[in-house]
Order: sequence, then structure tokens, then C-alpha cells
Amino acid sequence: MDGCSFAVPRGKISGLIGPNGSGKTTTFNLLTGLATPDSGEVIYRGENLAGLKPYQIFRKGVTRTFQVTRIFREMTVLENMLSVTGLDVPDRVARERAAELIAFVNLTHLRAEYGGRLSYGQQKLLEFARALMTDPDLILLDEPAAGVNRTLLQHLLDHIHRLEERGKTILIVEHDMGVIMNHCERIFVLDGGVKVAEGPPAEIQRDERVLEAYFGRRRVAGRTGGRRGAGAPPSEASEI
Amino acid sequence: MTRGEHLRNLALLGTSAIALAILPHALSVYLRSFALFTMMYVVLALAWNIVSGFTGYTSFGHVAFYGIGAYASAILTADYGWHWLPTLGVGAVLAAAVGAVIGYPVLRLKGPYFAIAMLGTAEGTRVIATVWDSLTHGGLGISFPSAENSLETYDAMLTLMLVTIVVAHVVGHSRFGISLNAIREDEVAAEALGINATLYKLAAFVLSAVFPAVAGGIQAYKVLYIDPPSVFFVQITIAMALMAMLGGKGTVIGPILGAVLLYTAQELTWVNFPTAHLIAYGLFIVLVARFMPRGLVGFAIDRGWVRKGMVH
Amino acid sequence: MERSEVRSLYLLAVFLACAYTVPFLVGAWAGTVRFDERWLGNLATVVVAGVMQGGVYAMFALGLTLIFGVMRIINAAHGEMVMMGAYLTWVCFFYLGVDPLLSMVLTLPVAFLFGVAVQKLLLNAVVGQPELTALLITFDLGLTMIYTAELIFTTDFRAIPYAPGTVHLTRTIAVGQNKVISFVLAVVISTAVYLFLKLSRLGKAVRATALNAEVAMVCGVDVRRIYLITTGFGAALAAAGGALVSIQFGFNPETGVVYTLQAFAIIVLGGRGNYMGALIGGLMLAVLENLVSLMVPNGTAVVELAAYGLMIFVLLIRPGGLMGVKEG
Repeated sequence: MDGCSFAVPRGKISGLIGPNGSGKTTTFNLLTGLATPDSGEVIYRGENLAGLKPYQIFRKGVTRTFQVTRIFREMTVLENMLSVTGLDVPDRVARERAAELIAFVNLTHLRAEYGGRLSYGQQKLLEFARALMTDPDLILLDEPAAGVNRTLLQHLLDHIHRLEERGKTILIVEHDMGVIMNHCERIFVLDGGVKVAEGPPAEIQRDERVLEAYFGRRRVAGRTGGRRGAGAPPSEASEI
Repeated sequence: MTRGEHLRNLALLGTSAIALAILPHALSVYLRSFALFTMMYVVLALAWNIVSGFTGYTSFGHVAFYGIGAYASAILTADYGWHWLPTLGVGAVLAAAVGAVIGYPVLRLKGPYFAIAMLGTAEGTRVIATVWDSLTHGGLGISFPSAENSLETYDAMLTLMLVTIVVAHVVGHSRFGISLNAIREDEVAAEALGINATLYKLAAFVLSAVFPAVAGGIQAYKVLYIDPPSVFFVQITIAMALMAMLGGKGTVIGPILGAVLLYTAQELTWVNFPTAHLIAYGLFIVLVARFMPRGLVGFAIDRGWVRKGMVH
Repeated sequence: MERSEVRSLYLLAVFLACAYTVPFLVGAWAGTVRFDERWLGNLATVVVAGVMQGGVYAMFALGLTLIFGVMRIINAAHGEMVMMGAYLTWVCFFYLGVDPLLSMVLTLPVAFLFGVAVQKLLLNAVVGQPELTALLITFDLGLTMIYTAELIFTTDFRAIPYAPGTVHLTRTIAVGQNKVISFVLAVVISTAVYLFLKLSRLGKAVRATALNAEVAMVCGVDVRRIYLITTGFGAALAAAGGALVSIQFGFNPETGVVYTLQAFAIIVLGGRGNYMGALIGGLMLAVLENLVSLMVPNGTAVVELAAYGLMIFVLLIRPGGLMGVKEG
């Protein structure tokens, strides 16, 4: 990241997009304590989270899912869920909540199965459910739509909206533009570790810099040249 | 576990406890000894499992704590005239302290480096025991004032084993145990999900240090003589690890099973093939590590005989 | 190097400097240090001897680092392979009457084949798996080797009396002839192996496999064969170390454990998988050990602690070692 600065609106769903390698996951890592910034702050509810350990940040109500699922493979679905609550929460409460969330993502019939034996889509759902166990206030979702079928995705998005209604703040990293444009109120665009644009979906869709980030700069209309956005395949660029 | 299962386990434990308590009176001294050693290995395997099976931090040096317990008991009894029972408590506290001090830096190392560091720790403790002869009598070893104590030590070891089983069971089937497993599965993700890995690892490590220490104390009193090589015997380390692995790392029944089976097998081979048994033992270890890393319980789980997971 | 790298290197340097002064401090406290000419001559001799021993250490550490670099396998039986080399040399000397140095012509190929066998039977299957599995297997292999050696040779210490004279490098520094010869041979063998790896086709294949086995495979390298060869070389280097050790020190089946610890300490200090690191590490460890055994009371027993302490601190301060090897 290189001098990037933005403010996520509370109680809304926001999107974080950008080509591969632009720093989206790094941003999540910085926000959750998996990475420490060399300079700068992470302000959450008036408090600077930079430098805190991940578990401390989690306890303040920030949670996330991972781009490549990091569920606990040799533990059952139920155990995955129960591993998250702090030990101060009574057992019964934890189990109830776990059962609730497992049911929400339709994994009840698999609750005694090892996480590693679930299909990829099911693992993503498990991770989503797991992230919600402690009723967090800031939820960072790293590519929640990848590998999930349309019906379940809609189900997920409904739940995300319901979370928003309850006042939760959600930040989604996604490549699926349908999800981003149709569900986010505000979008932040990264490229090469820098924020290149910010605004509501309608603006972003028309923003030159965003297109440039994804598809590369045009020197002459119809021909491509110069710097390519990281990860943009050559054939696409030459078709502009 | 369901309530029914808890009761069942308790009943099982209770009956075995009673049976084992009555047993020594019916056995020859040799068999009494054999039973005591088997129980000791159950303790060691279970304790090792608490840190290495649950958190995945495989320690190759837990024999250090065993040795600390043995020496605490020996020094206090032989040189200071203590009665041996309280010395076990001292050994336990000492091991916990050492565990905390060593564990804090060493648990920052990953996988094999942690294992090697613990191996070095065990070696280091042995060297210290040899060199600090004003305290430990060095290579001369320490002799206890002798006494016929096979019943006393048997009962002590039985009690220790029961306590260890209960603790291991409670830890293993609790949310604390799940958190430990989470650390093993993916420490970074576990931290991101609110688990204070540093603290939990250390807690598991210290807990796992206490039981071997008490076992060492009892053992020392039983054999009435210890010296550095006998007590910091690297084979004890490997036995702990192997028994837990054979039975099934990360479960509670596993180490118990592994300890009983392996120790019995070891005794049988020793009796019948006194010279070659160590080599056979070594080869056996290699085979288990290579072909059956998830142990007997893992095998049973794969076959569906045992339920998956520790919490249901 | 990025900031944290520089910082950790600096910390490591400071730590090492402290580590070297510790023996002096302990010695001053214990009264074993005297600043007269004779003692200083002693000190110089000990340091030089350390450098020479370091050469031998570096050589067998090279074997370990080679195995790790190519396969990410930590060979916990490496010290036992050194011990095996020592015993093989001893057997050649006492039963066949062959000069220990000459017998390397026999013992090294035998060790090489042993390494190949170990790799083929035990380790090939676990190359991709977490390093701990291989560690456990090799640890047990080492134990088995110790037991076998005890069975055949008993736990008595052996040594080979050889080149008993001393070489006077300066007026005050006199080192045993056997040490000098060992050092020279160690350097020769290490250099030969190093050149082989750098220049020969096979050597390049080995290095390619170390960097990225999949890519090497795609380029036509028979990776499995390379693994066999690597472990073979590792075992041979260890055995060479054993041969050179056998003419300097006494050994018994259990001394292998210390060699393993030393080899670990060396490659951690120097940087796992790094050849130059193995050399530097070897020299540094040997000199430190000699300082300790000179000045610390009960030094010879405590020497192991030096290796262990060194290793632990390096792992905590700068796990990549002096040469800064990265993970992965």
C-alpha cells in the first residue's frame, strides 16, 4: 500500500475493488492486524487499531473472511463455529448461536463433518457463518461470491442486507461487478496500492481512472499501449 | 459430548479405577511394576498430547520436565529429608515455572524448529543436571533412602493417571480444547478469530509440563536411584510422542490406547528378544510415522466406528 | 534489505559479539583467565584449532544444508551418519589396517549408498509433507542407528591414533598435526563439492531442484533421482566428517547426538540451505566451543549448551541466519 486513505461509511455496505495485486487483501490484513502499517492509522470508533494484535481487533468487533478459505479442515463444522466465541460466553449460548448460523447457511446436515471434506462453496459458507458468530459490527468479506451458486448468493446477499439494517458495517472485496454495483452504496477503487477513485456505483462505472486501472491506458482510441493494469490479460486490452 | 456419553465415560473410568486400585494386591512385584510403568506412560502420552496433539507444537523435549520432577523429588528427599509426597508438588510447580519461562520464547518457533529447540532444551537440562553437581550430585546420581514402596508408588501413579485422564478429557472436549485445535489447524486464522494464540499455547505447554514432572517424581522414588542419563533418557521423549501418535494425536483415548499397546509390546519384545528389541522398536517407530500418522483412532474415525470431532 | 531485515542482522551481530565475550567473562569470574604470554598463546592456539575444527564441522553441516536446501527435509540422523563414518573408518583401520584418510575412498561411497537407500525407502514419500514428518522419521532412524552401533560396538569410546605430532604455526601456536590434516582435507572436499554443484550438469540439476522442484521437473530433471543423489552426498559428507573426527576425538554411538545438534546450530546460524553460511557457521561455532571449553569451568560438558544456546537465539532473533535465508 502506498499512501492510501479512505473512510468506510458506518452502517452501510461498501465495496473495495481493483485489479489483481492492487492491495485489496493487504488492506484487509492491515485492518485486521495481520499486517502492521509502517505509517498511518486505522481508526475504528475513534480508536486507532494499528499495531494491535489480530485477536484484540477481533474482540473489538471486527471480523473477516479470507480470499482462499481458511476454515479449520480437521475440525467439524460445529467445532469451526465454536472455536470463535470467547471462553467467557457460556456454552449453551454459543451452541445456540452456532446452530442458528449453521442452519442459516444450510449446513446443518453436515455439522459433524470435517471442514476439509466440504465442497468449496460449502467451505465459503462456513467461513461466512463463522465470521458472524460473535455478532461483529464491522464485517470484511473477501470475495464472498466466488464459488457460490446464484441461489445461495442471493440468500447471502439478503442476509448481508439484513445485517446492514441492523446497523452493521460491511466492506466487500469482489470481482463480481454485479454484486458490487447492485448492492454497495459506496465503492473504493484501488490500483497498485493507491486509491484511484471513490464514490457511488453510478459514478464509478463511468470513471476513467477505474477503467484504466482494469484495462490499461489508451494512447490512441482503439489501440492500447503504455502501462497495463496489473493482471489485465493482453487480449482484452487490445480490443479496447 | 452428550450427557449420556459423559456418564458412560465416568462409569468406565470409575470401574477401571477401582479395578486398578485392587489389582496390585493380586499381582507379583514384576507385574505390579509393569502396571505402574504402563500407567506412567499413559500419563506421559496424555500430557504430551495436550501440547503437541492439540496445538500441533510437537515437542521433542518433554523429558526435560520429567527429569526436573525426578530431580526435585530426589534432592528434597535424599538431601533435605523431606517426605517424598510433597516433593511431587514442588516438582510440579518447578516444571510449570520452567515451562512458562522456556515456553514463552520457544513457542514462537514454528513446527520443526520448535521440535528441535525442545530437543535442545532436554539436552540442555541434562547437561545442567550433570554439571551442577553441588545440587544434583552430577554424574554420581542420587540415591533415595531405600524402602519397600511398590504399593505406595503404584497408588500414587494410579491417582496421577486418573487425574491426568480427567484433565485431558476436560481440556479436549471443551471450547478451550477447540481453540487449541484451531491454533493447530491455522494459527493465523485462529488469531484473526479472537484466539489469543500466544496465551493459549503457553497455557497448554505449562499444563503439559506438570504431569510428566509428577510422574518423574514418583518414578524416581520407585527406582530409588537416578542419574542424568537414566532420567533424561531420550527414549522417553520418543516414547511419549510415539504412543500419542500411534493411538491418535489430538484425541483423548488415543494416547491412552497407544501407551498401553506400545508399552506392552515393548515389554513382550524385550522379554523375548533382549538384544534386538531396541532396533525393532526404532524401526517400528519409523513405520508408524510413515504409514499411520493419524493413529488408531484416526483409523477408526475413517472407518466410521468413532465419531468425528471432539465436541458434538 | 528492508528495514526489519537490517535491524535483525544488527541484533544478531550484537548477540554474537556478546556470545563470544561470555566465555571470557565467565573465565574471569572463575579465575581460569590469565593474561600472561603463555595463556595468550594457549588462547591463540585454541582459536586456531577452533578454525580448523570448524572446517570439519562446516563440511558435515554442508551435507545437512544440502539435504535441507533441496528437499526441505531436516535430517535428524545426520550426527549418526557422522558417527557411522567414524566407525567405518575405525573398522577399516583396526581390521583392515588401512590408513584412515585413504579409507575414505571406501567409506564415502558406502555412506553415499546408505544415503540413497534411506532416501529411497524412507524419505522419498515424505518430501512434500510438512517438515515435521521427516524430522520424526530421521530422528527415529538416528535412534535405530545408535542402538545398532551399541549392539555391534558397545558404548565404549574409540579413537584412532593418527598423526600425533604437532605443527608449530608460529612460536606460540601449536596445533595437532591431525587437526591440520583434517582441516586441509575438509576444505578440499567441501570445495570439490561446491565446485561440483556450481559447474557440473548434475550439480546444476541439484541446484535447480533446490530452487523449484516443479520447474526443474518440467525442464527434464529427474527429480526423484536428484533426491537420491542429494541424500547420498549428504551422507557421504557426514561420513567424511566422521572420518576426520575419528582421528581427532574419541567417539561412541551416542556422540552423534551432539554432532546433529552442532550441525543444526551451524545451518541455523549460517542460513539453512546456504553453503557459504554453513562454512561461516561452522567456523564460528567451533571457535566459540573452544573458547568455552578453555575458559568455562567444566567447559567440555557445557560445550553442548553453546551450540544449543546459539541456535535458539538465532532462531528467535533472525531465523534466516547470517545470510538471511527466507522461508518458503
